[in-house]
Parts: sequence; structure tokens; C-alpha cells
Amino acid sequence: MSMLKDPEMKEIVDGFCEESNDLCQQLEDILDEYEENPGKIALLEQFGQIIDRIMGAAKSIDAEKTGNFCELGKIVSYKASQTDDMKLLEIVTAVLFDTLDILNSLLENIEKSGEEKVEGINLETFANRLKWLEEKFSHVERASVSIDENEPKNKQESIDQLLADLGL
Amino acid sequence: MAFDPKQKILVVDDMSTMRKIIKNMLVKMGCTNITEAEDGKPAWEKIQEAYASGTPFDFVLSDWNMPGMTGLDLLKNVRADERFKKLPFLMITAEGEQSNVVTAVKAGVSNFIVKPFNQATLQGKIEKIFK
Repeated sequence: MSMLKDPEMKEIVDGFCEESNDLCQQLEDILDEYEENPGKIALLEQFGQIIDRIMGAAKSIDAEKTGNFCELGKIVSYKASQTDDMKLLEIVTAVLFDTLDILNSLLENIEKSGEEKVEGINLETFANRLKWLEEKFSHVERASVSIDENEPKNKQESIDQLLADLGL
Repeated sequence: MAFDPKQKILVVDDMSTMRKIIKNMLVKMGCTNITEAEDGKPAWEKIQEAYASGTPFDFVLSDWNMPGMTGLDLLKNVRADERFKKLPFLMITAEGEQSNVVTAVKAGVSNFIVKPFNQATLQGKIEKIFK
């Protein structure tokens, strides 16, 4: 059974929604501030750091769609924080506002019914918009909080192999 | 030294959801002495206070990306202090980049776990640290 539907996990899932709602408010404040100060691209990095926190917790409670959605938002915002293409940044801001709306709806439905759905919006289509934006930043390497982005992401197995190679 | 569920554990994560999930997993593993901290800074204070009061932590599980003091900075503080040079430290992250792993290993991390993870993975990591 998915954690989202597991009665034993309800307290944790509700807590996740409450906590994530607070973080979404912070994300909205960041975007509002960015709209008023379009040159302040460090705000977009801050956006990425906060949505990354929702992502980690979402994936940990089986809210896979929400987690993947946050991951795309994180990549786009991190990459956007390293460009000075103001036209593209305008699009990014608009899409990140929409991302937030969808994230809020996802959280609301998780809290209500334990289901990751959004009324009237095709999530896949919207995710494709985020992916399209991500591709626009293909020349930008860093997409996360990592020290050096010039490398592929790794799952636990390959991380374990690396740790073994490093003597752990 | 083998892992003993009675050992004193510190769980550090800014998301209370994550702290609850990890605590649940640890409780299912039989752990009873679990303390939580919501950021690296209070965690560092708790580590020092616990040592000063004669009941030091035996093990730290910390998230990497936290808004105040990051897990990496907490680890660096811990390893820079002679008293905690050998304190087992498991880093938790949503990131899976090799450079993060290398940086954490250089800073003296005991092991590294990528979110999302289940109880079996966590238990395996802990057993590996204490074997």
C-alpha cells in the first residue's frame, strides 16, 4: 500500500502537506520578490534549494509525481539562476508561478484524498513545458545543490559502488 | 563495535516529515534513544552539550541541504573537534552526484544515503558503519 493511503502514515502525510504548504508560501514570496527585482537571480537559486526540500520529503512518502514535479522545478530554477537571458528568465518566472499553483493543488489533494491529482490540468503536458525549459538551459551545467554538476546523477547502487571505491 | 539499538542517536533534518520518517524506521529497528535537531547549528550544540553532560551521541544521521548550517558544515565541525573525530556520521541527501559523495568522504563522512530510502537500506547502511 502506498504511504499516501496508509492510515498509519496519515499523521506523517498530513505533516508533510502542512510543512510543504509553508515552504510553498516561501517559494511564492521568492517569486514575488524576483518579479520586482528581475536581475536578482540568486533568488532563483534560493527557490531551487527550497523546492529541493519538498522533493526529498515527497519522494520519501511515495508522493512520486509531486517529487518528480519538484525535481523539474528545482533543475529549471537552479539552471535559470546561472543565466542572464532576461527574456528566458521572464518565461521561467511565469512557469515557476504555474508550477507553484500545481504543487499547491497536488498537496491539497494529497491531504484530502491521498491522491496526487490536479483537476483540469494535464500534469504530463506541464511537465513537458518544464522539460522544454530545462533543455533551453542545456548549456548550463549546475542543476542542483551539488558542488560540481559536470557529471551524471547516481542512484544509491552507483553511489554505493563509488563509496566502496573510496574505501567505505 | 556492532550497532546497539540502545545507542544514543541524533537525527538532523529541517523537514519534520523526514525526521518523523527516519525516527519511525529507527524505532522499528528497536532504537529507543533518539534525539532530533532541525538544523546543523542546533545539532552541533546538542552534540557538544551531550558530550559535556557525559552522555555523548553514538551516531549522527544528518540531511545535507538545510537552510542554516548544512549537513556538510556540521560534519566539518564534528571532524574538526578531536572529541568527535570518530563519531559515526551518516549523510542523507536527495542528491546523487559523485562530487557530493567525494566531498563528504573527504570531510570524513561514515556513509552516504540517497532519498528516498527504505528501512532495509537505512539498516544496511548503519550495520555497515558499525561492523
